[in-house]
Amino acid sequence: MSQREGSLDPQADSPVSFLPHLEAKIRQTHNLARLLTKYAEQLLEEYVQQQGDPFGLPGFSPPRLSLAGLSGPSPSHMGLPLSERLRQDAAALDALPGLLDAVRRRQAELNPSSPRLLRNLEDAARQARALGVAVETVLAALGSAARGPGPEPAATTALSTANNAAGIFSAKVLGLHVCGLYGEWVNRTEGDLSQLVPGDVA
Amino acid sequence: MSESRVAEFGFFTKDRTACFRLTAPHTAMGAYSWWKEPSWMVDSKRRRMTPNWPWLLSALTLLQVNAVQAHSLKRGSAQDLKCTTKNMQVWDCTWTAPVGVSPGTVKEVCIKDRLNSCHRLESTNIKIAALSPGDHEVAINYLNGFQSKFTLNENDVSLIPDTPESLDLSADFSTSTLHLRWNDRGSAFPYPCNATWEIKVLQNPSMELVKLVSFNTTLSGRDIVHHWNWTSDLPLQCATHSVGIRWYIDYNRFSGYKVWSDWSPLKNVSWTPNSETNVFPQDKVILAGSDITFCCVSQTKVLSGQIGKTFCPLIHLYGENVAIHIRNISVSENSGTNVVFTTEDNVYGTVVFAGYPPDIPQKLNCETHDFKEIICSWNPGRPTGLVGPRNTDYTLSESISGKSVPFKRFETLTNESYRLAFQMLPGQEIHNFTLTGRNPLGHAESAVFINITERVAPHVPVSLRVKDISSTVVTLSWHLPGNFAKINLLCQVEICKASSEREVRNATIKGAEESSYLVAVDKLNPYTLYTFRVRCSTETFWKWSKWSNEKRHLTTEAIPSRGPDTWREWSSDGKNLIIYWKPLPINEANGKILSYNVSCSSNEETQSLSEILDPQHRAEIQLEKSDYIISVVAKNSAGSSPPSKIASMEIPNDDIIVEQAVGMGKRIFLSWHPDPNMTCDYVIKWCNSSRSEPCLMDWIKVPSNSTKTVIESDQFQPGVRYNFYLYGCTNQGYQLLRSIIGYIEELAPIVAPNFTVEDTSADSILVKWEDIPVEELRGFLRGYLFYFQKGERDTPKTRTFETGHSDIKLKNITDISQKTLRIADLQGKTSYHLVLRAYTHGGLGPEKSMFVVTKENSVGLIIAILIPVAVAVIVGVVTSILCYRKREWIKETFYPDIPNPENCKALQFQKSICEGSSALKTLEMNPCTPNNVEVLESRSIVPKIEDTEIISPVAERPGESSEADPENHVVVSYCPPIIEEEIANPAADEVGGTSQVVYIDVQSMYQPQAKPEEEQGIDPGVVAAYKPQMRLPINSAVEDFAAAEDEADKTAGYRPQANVNTWNLVSPDSPRSTDSNSEIVSFGSPCSINSRQFLIPPKDEDSPKSNGGGWSFTNFFQNKPND
Repeated sequence: MSQREGSLDPQADSPVSFLPHLEAKIRQTHNLARLLTKYAEQLLEEYVQQQGDPFGLPGFSPPRLSLAGLSGPSPSHMGLPLSERLRQDAAALDALPGLLDAVRRRQAELNPSSPRLLRNLEDAARQARALGVAVETVLAALGSAARGPGPEPAATTALSTANNAAGIFSAKVLGLHVCGLYGEWVNRTEGDLSQLVPGDVA
Repeated sequence: MSESRVAEFGFFTKDRTACFRLTAPHTAMGAYSWWKEPSWMVDSKRRRMTPNWPWLLSALTLLQVNAVQAHSLKRGSAQDLKCTTKNMQVWDCTWTAPVGVSPGTVKEVCIKDRLNSCHRLESTNIKIAALSPGDHEVAINYLNGFQSKFTLNENDVSLIPDTPESLDLSADFSTSTLHLRWNDRGSAFPYPCNATWEIKVLQNPSMELVKLVSFNTTLSGRDIVHHWNWTSDLPLQCATHSVGIRWYIDYNRFSGYKVWSDWSPLKNVSWTPNSETNVFPQDKVILAGSDITFCCVSQTKVLSGQIGKTFCPLIHLYGENVAIHIRNISVSENSGTNVVFTTEDNVYGTVVFAGYPPDIPQKLNCETHDFKEIICSWNPGRPTGLVGPRNTDYTLSESISGKSVPFKRFETLTNESYRLAFQMLPGQEIHNFTLTGRNPLGHAESAVFINITERVAPHVPVSLRVKDISSTVVTLSWHLPGNFAKINLLCQVEICKASSEREVRNATIKGAEESSYLVAVDKLNPYTLYTFRVRCSTETFWKWSKWSNEKRHLTTEAIPSRGPDTWREWSSDGKNLIIYWKPLPINEANGKILSYNVSCSSNEETQSLSEILDPQHRAEIQLEKSDYIISVVAKNSAGSSPPSKIASMEIPNDDIIVEQAVGMGKRIFLSWHPDPNMTCDYVIKWCNSSRSEPCLMDWIKVPSNSTKTVIESDQFQPGVRYNFYLYGCTNQGYQLLRSIIGYIEELAPIVAPNFTVEDTSADSILVKWEDIPVEELRGFLRGYLFYFQKGERDTPKTRTFETGHSDIKLKNITDISQKTLRIADLQGKTSYHLVLRAYTHGGLGPEKSMFVVTKENSVGLIIAILIPVAVAVIVGVVTSILCYRKREWIKETFYPDIPNPENCKALQFQKSICEGSSALKTLEMNPCTPNNVEVLESRSIVPKIEDTEIISPVAERPGESSEADPENHVVVSYCPPIIEEEIANPAADEVGGTSQVVYIDVQSMYQPQAKPEEEQGIDPGVVAAYKPQMRLPINSAVEDFAAAEDEADKTAGYRPQANVNTWNLVSPDSPRSTDSNSEIVSFGSPCSINSRQFLIPPKDEDSPKSNGGGWSFTNFFQNKPND
């Protein structure tokens, strides 16, 4: 694993000696994130497979759609302090369940006879929520409060509106984007947490 | 006339107005009328005209027209009078003022046949009320006094309706449909009259006509708003569309011209682009196999368009907008077919769902289970290929009650039957159901008309219970959910006994509401385990319900229906009577047999054994051997059976023959002749024959009218002998009728008969054997097989008898009573191999073998010795006598004192042989008397003389000799000893050599001196000595020659004449036979001088070694080498 930048206040930039239960929590959260990374890949594969051609064909890469309140991890993410990165991870993970639910609802109309995809979307929403809560717990334990639970994220509202107003093709692209975001944020969270896991820093 | 009008229509049709070009002033219309009127007259009077009238009328008409034209020119002329009407009520006429007259100088227009018909005006246009049909004279007066006159007729008026004005043009962009709405203004027209409308759709920017459609309506005197919808192939978003409309009116009472109105002003439909959607149509559902066009509205260049993974050629519309056209689109997958346009910086797309409209619902069936709800089921038929919101929605409608029920879909349903429940209304039996399936592509429906009382398939009966009434009657009760109060139920009770017999009984029951039902089931067997189950339908049968759960029930016990089968046997000592009985079958025991009571009664006494518990089916009672009646009673919990009786003694029968029988499988078939004396029944008992008395395995009873039976028992085993006894029953008791021994299946014996040799002679053997025990015989003995052949113990070929071997002799002994066998015609002092096997129909048993040596034949031996000895003595005596009596002749012949050369036949022997031979020279006789003759050859290789006593050139075969080695032939010349002669040997010359013959005195034995130099050339190996009259044409080694010479010296003298080539034999007895040189001749046997045949035959080394133990003539005369 490559060395990641950033720091966690008040200690800086290096694995620290946490309390045993905190260390266990961090390790547990990290394991969860690592597990969800694999699940996110499977979800994306399943999603692409159910949308028909040219989804999944090489060379088909629709431009990223912008979701108000949620975007992919920016390149500058790595330059932020670790606590800030985790806060962003938690915020994204907090927004993702609603988006995944919206995608699942749309896919329930498009692919009602694909229970595996629907189940994977439902599981992904639940697992993203669980991972977000776990990250927030870690942040709280480290003394860095995460953002409190706010109203429904704007991304979800925007997606729901887009789902209804835009065409099905846009909804498919949007779902693809959400599934991709889910993988990216879970992967990023796993990377950020790895810096907190003692003995797991390259 | 009519043709003339058509020509004029062609003119104004072009202008869409009725145009008249008046060439006659004042009365142009009138001139027209005039021209026209005579024609009408002609038409009306045509029948009265002669054929010359037409040309005359035409000439007059032309003259009149010319006169009118001249008059008009004088007065001035009005031109181009045109009258039109919009509503057939007001005519609008215009004309052109005559030349030289200002249009403003019009004073008035007067219509001649109308009151107040003059209208003052100052222009060349006038609107007048519609004139009645027919011609009307119209005069136009000008201020300057000019006057123009016209004849005006409705026929010349053009009906041109006002341009229609569309009220509204709208577009449904989602469906690419245009909606046009307009008012027909029917209140302005007489009615009813027909209106024909024409609508055109133009596609911008090229204003290409993409649709032109016409249709008719009827004007009803009221203003009516009409609608027209049109769906564009190209999505409306992709191009601006314009719509125009026009019409004309067809009123049958208006005889003028009907002309299309002008096109209405075009109305446009355009789409305002937004940033979200760029590809059209969006999310459309279309019929699979149809064609569809997708367009993309883009501000940037579109690079490609594709459906699924297939790229399509782009159709450029205007600007950067493009389209692709898809033909025969295939059924989409669940999430639809993606259509994607790719620009330089983005990807736009839409989804199309191609599928089918609903198929007609198949196998629609409606029935009720409980008279509470009606269940309708159907098969959706062909899949539509559409899912989710686009899937087929079904609605079940009942027309009598007016109720409808929607079908709630479960997406997991595939193609199996769908079911829908319809709540029944009280009192309604007749139902008319219509099932309608709809999806975005269409709908389909199926209907069924039923009387629900005839469509009853009850639920499965539940709570089945069984209750005993008696040992043969039970009642069944069950619950059937549902309201069957108005109908009768038809129920079936299935009765299953011992899982084998199944009986179904029907029962009709009056139905009830949510009730239990009860039926009695009789004719059952006591103490029998039954399994019951029930199903129901209605009297108006439609379907059976499912079977209820099974209910097992054991009926109560009843007394046994009869006594057990009984038999008896006296013990071997005759003091005890053993009584046997069989357990009653379950259908006759009627319960569990607890015990048996046995009693034996005679006139004097009665003995009883009571309460013999069930597993025991045998009792033994000590009795005197006299007549008793044995009675056996079986008891169960319900009571005792009737007694079963049997007499203790049998009726004697001395006429019993033991018979044989063989069965098949586990069965044996027995038959007998009917015996009228047997009144009760027959009993057949059997036992294993090897068991001791009393022997009883089992018995069966057969009705008295039977004459055959098949006995079957699992105890029967193949290869075991059984005794069967047939008894007949009379009033006095049982009598043995037949005794049969039999096998279920015969097997081969398992042992060989034990046999011994009773007697042996030089030519015969007497064999004796013993019986095989019955247990080991395993079948009826059918005979023995006896094999024998020469052979000694441990000789391989005698160890086993091979089938078909010629030396084997076989005797099949089918007389099984025979126990001995004498084998004759054998050789003395010879070992024989004897084998004996027994056989049954089951096969051959094992063999037992024995080796026996016959005794020696002494008489033959004596004869074989004496006869040769006697013959030898007789020959010796005769020879001695002859020799004695002919001794003088013998001496003269064989041993004269002085041999006479003239009588030397030895010197002539070759003459006859060598005559005609160019290779050999015959020795010629000279008048000399040699003492010795020696023939010398100049050959280096001299044949070796093995035994001069038997060498004879007479025996030499010339042909063979010349072919074998022609150089070995010697020219022999007979001459006095002092004469030296050299004879050329042709044969030797041919090969470059010479032969020298030297005649010497056998006594002096010196070499001639005449040719000493030649002598030096002679090989020292050449023998210079006398040789007998023979040649050995055999090449031999030089070393052997010396030995031969020495030997010849020793045996110099007379030698018998023979060709040793014919003795070319190698005898191991000869001392030279070991020489490897095959050319060497050996003489190992005495032979006749003139005979080529050996007296003693050549020894055959391959001949078998003589048997020292035996004797034969050949052995007797055989000359053994060692002897």
